[in-house]
Formats: sequence, C-alpha cells, structure tokens
Amino acid sequence: MDLNTLLFGGLSILSLAIFFYLGRFRASSRQTNREDRIDWSSRSFSLWKVFLYCLIAAVGVAVLAALG
Amino acid sequence: MSNHKALEMFGRSGNPSLSAETFSSSAVDASFATSAPPATMTLQGTVNKTGILLALVVISASYTWGMFFSSGNPGTVIPWAFGGAIVGLILAVVTILKKQFSGITAPLYAIAEGLFLGAISAIFEAQYPGIVIQAVGLTLGTLASLLFLYKTGIVKPTENFRLMVASATMGIAVLYLVNILMNMFGFGDIGFIHSNGLFGIGFSLFVVGIAALNLVLDFDFIEQGSEMGAPQYMEWFGAFSLMVTLIWLYLEMLRLLAKLRSR
Repeated sequence: MDLNTLLFGGLSILSLAIFFYLGRFRASSRQTNREDRIDWSSRSFSLWKVFLYCLIAAVGVAVLAALG
Repeated sequence: MSNHKALEMFGRSGNPSLSAETFSSSAVDASFATSAPPATMTLQGTVNKTGILLALVVISASYTWGMFFSSGNPGTVIPWAFGGAIVGLILAVVTILKKQFSGITAPLYAIAEGLFLGAISAIFEAQYPGIVIQAVGLTLGTLASLLFLYKTGIVKPTENFRLMVASATMGIAVLYLVNILMNMFGFGDIGFIHSNGLFGIGFSLFVVGIAALNLVLDFDFIEQGSEMGAPQYMEWFGAFSLMVTLIWLYLEMLRLLAKLRSR
C-alpha cells in the first residue's frame, strides 16, 4: 500500500467517521435560532433541484464524451 | 409530530403529493389509529439511510470497476456507464416527483449511479493511477468539513445564499448542456471546460466550490425537515439529495485532479 492510498484512504475513513458522528446531533442554536433561515417550504426548491439533477446527468455525459 | 407544523412546513410545497390535503387525510387516518403517532423524519434516520446509499454505490461501483480491470477494455464498461447514468437520471426524476416512493427509488438510484461511477472511476484510474482514492478522500473530506462548519453555525445558509448557489448551479448546468448540444451537432467543445490550462483548472475549482456549497443547502434541508417533523420517507429523500450532490462533487473532483495530473 503506497503513501497516496494511506493518506487519502485515512482521510476518507476519518471523514466518514466525522459525518456519521456529527450527523446525529442537532445544529447549534447559533445555526437554528436565526430570523434569516431558508424557508424550505417554498416552491423554488423543487425547481432548482431539477436543474441540479440535469446538471449531474450533463456532467456524466460530458465525462463520457471526453473519454470517448 | 405536530401535524399542524408539518402542514406549515410542507403544505405549500410545489409537489402535488405533498399538498395540505394529503396531510389532512393522513391526520384523519391517524385519529382512528390512536395507538401511536405517525413516524417522523429524524437526523439519525437520515444519516443511517445515507450510509445505506453510500454502501450501495460502493457495491455496485465495484462490479463495473472489477469488470474493467479484468477485461482491460473500456468498451466493456461504457454501456454500463451510459445505462447507469440514464437509469439514474430517470430514477432521480421519479424520486423528485414522488417523494413518498424515495424508500424504493433512492436505493435503486444509488445502485444505478454506482455502476456509472465504477466504470468512470476505473477508466480514470487506468489513465492516472491513484486518482480515485484522491477524489474519494477529497470528496468525503469536503463533506465532513462542511458538516462541521454547518453544525457549529460558522456557515449560515440564508435565502440570499440559496439564491447565489442556485443561480451558479443553473449557470453551470446551462453551460454543460450547451457544450453537449454543441458536441452533438458537431460544433466541437467549449474549450475551457475540458482544458487543463489555468482557465480550465480555475473553472473546475469554481464548479467544485459550487458543488460543495450545495452540501450546505442539503444539510439545512435535512435539519429543518427533522425539526419540523416531516414524514419519515423524507429521510430517504434527504439522503438521496445528499447522494446526488456527493456524486456531482466526486465527478468534479475527478475532472479537476485529471486536469492537474495531465499538465
């Protein structure tokens, strides 16, 4: 196992551990008790998410086109 | 969960399946079944489901990865890559339109995208040995760092933040789509998208940054959904949203690293 694999493999495992540990807890009150929080019930969320999914498909095709 | 809160939160959604009437009828059903309150979205549940989706991506990716390295021929995995990308896109659209089916469509999406990512990753790895573990490490490192910044309140997503990230994301989407259309009609590429020059690398860095900021929006969506007592299937939808962003971020990391290595 080379240094590259050790370094980035270690970073991956550490990051996953942080994600699974921190992800269970609520965000700090500094984050949640704000007047300017995003209102996720608004309609625009679904629309721009559709664009995001189209973007991912486009990236995929672009990558395939570049490799081909 | 307070049904009133859920109505406040999701009753105005653009999704017809999440209308106020839907919640009202479920509330009526719940009043007859007084034994237990309806299950709601939790942070722990969403994290667990994200773990399941990540595992499914890795398992299906290892299939096309192994197929490439056993045959040594990119031609064997390209159909899987295209198939995975197209099926993944269809499942993503179904998941967005019918969020209550996320428990079925999100895992299927993860499997389809895994086939695509395994094939693409193997082809990049053959060209630039060691690039995949670097992209995985940097993607997961970004995920953990931004989660920490979000949870501690250092990064605070606001409506303006969402507008900025959404505008940039749409701009990038339009640029990629124009590039694909130009390719299809034989007008060539928009040079800097694939170029390994300074401008091309700068563009990739910008796209990686925007993809990373989308993670903050996903965290906020999940946090607020669990606070407001969204239905339990939204755990799958939250995990799915996170996976979509992670897959995009990973692909952009791969492209950025490939540009840097090819210089």
